Amino acid sequence: MISAIYNFALTTGANRVIRGARIEHVCGDPTLSPEKDYAFGMRIVTAALETLTVAVPGPTLFDPLASGKEAAHAS
Amino acid sequence: MSGPLRVVHYLNQFFGGIGGEEQADVGVTARAGAVGPGRLLEKALGDDARIEVTLIGGDNFVSERAEEASRAIAAELERIRPDVLVAGPAFGSGRYGLACELVCRVARERGVPAITAMHPENPGASGARRGLYIVPTGASTTSMQAALEALAPLACRLGRGEALGLAEVDGYMPRGARRVHDRGRPGYQRALDMLLDKLHGRPYRSEVPYAAPERVAPAAPIPDLARARIAMVTTGGLVRKGNPDRQVSANAVRYHRHTVSELESLSPKEWEAYHAGYFNHLVNSNPNYILPLSFLRDLERQGKVGRVHEHIYALPGVSTPVAVAVGHGRNIAADLKAAGVDGALLVAT
Repeated sequence: MISAIYNFALTTGANRVIRGARIEHVCGDPTLSPEKDYAFGMRIVTAALETLTVAVPGPTLFDPLASGKEAAHAS
Repeated sequence: MSGPLRVVHYLNQFFGGIGGEEQADVGVTARAGAVGPGRLLEKALGDDARIEVTLIGGDNFVSERAEEASRAIAAELERIRPDVLVAGPAFGSGRYGLACELVCRVARERGVPAITAMHPENPGASGARRGLYIVPTGASTTSMQAALEALAPLACRLGRGEALGLAEVDGYMPRGARRVHDRGRPGYQRALDMLLDKLHGRPYRSEVPYAAPERVAPAAPIPDLARARIAMVTTGGLVRKGNPDRQVSANAVRYHRHTVSELESLSPKEWEAYHAGYFNHLVNSNPNYILPLSFLRDLERQGKVGRVHEHIYALPGVSTPVAVAVGHGRNIAADLKAAGVDGALLVAT
């Protein structure tokens, strides 16, 4: 699940949660140039697809916008 | 009413004495009187009730051929016309629990009060949320005696046509039903008392029970994205331009499935958002923000994704009761699974 309000997704039990940009533009950012907007959205979508290839123990956050790529588990 | 209450008791093939797993396919049979744990139940019921008939069904039969089983149970209930039906206890046994839930539903539909007992984590226990009376038990038969002692008085009351009291008082699982009644003291006083109890570390009890969300086992990883069929679902309120399907902007009772097999991207000339929970204008300039078709098409072309599924699913995910949302999710997932989809991206605004 790609969502900007990822905490809701985690606490309600979504297992693979990918942090999106913002509520009004989850997969992209219209304040960027069209090329950068697209690259930004692609980063989120690609990260989301990659989460489908890894096992998760339960609700897990993947943050493609953070510098590192480590996953964080819901408490 | 004269004479003792007439009870029908439902058991699976194991407790009914027919046999173990090898007999799980047997159909529904009726035996006169109490069988197996029914004898203990009859003792717990006391002199006011007796088990007229025991219905026995194989766990596989009832779960795999539910309609046939329901018809057989219904026919027996028509014939016997009992005052109350008791099913189980099923403890932690999943198929048995689901069978007890089914039997209770069939009884209720025919105006026969029904009650069952099982472990709260038994899949059949979700029937409580559908209005069935279910007494919580331990996970194994070691809690048989306690389960029957809790079950019997409630069964007698239901059989006499009495309404049960609050779930927490009468000891059955909350059914999510709300009744209007006078608590005696106004809400602000009760709230302040609760706050004081909390601040002093004293025990207190919220009047708004917390329903923990359902936990779903994570799906197994996809071994190879390059060979996977990927679908897209959005709760961002995506609709075709002008909303010709007349979707609502909140509290959706249905979702829409659209075909995108001919599309490279979602054009703002053909698609827009209709969702009462956020400003839609940015999505209206680029609907791919909430349903990333343009990205997936590129990845498909590059061979990074096997295939983009031809159908997308959309609804506005706002103000929808959880029970309704669970139904939408279940139906969409079943549809995707039947279509051979390996994984799905759900975009939530």
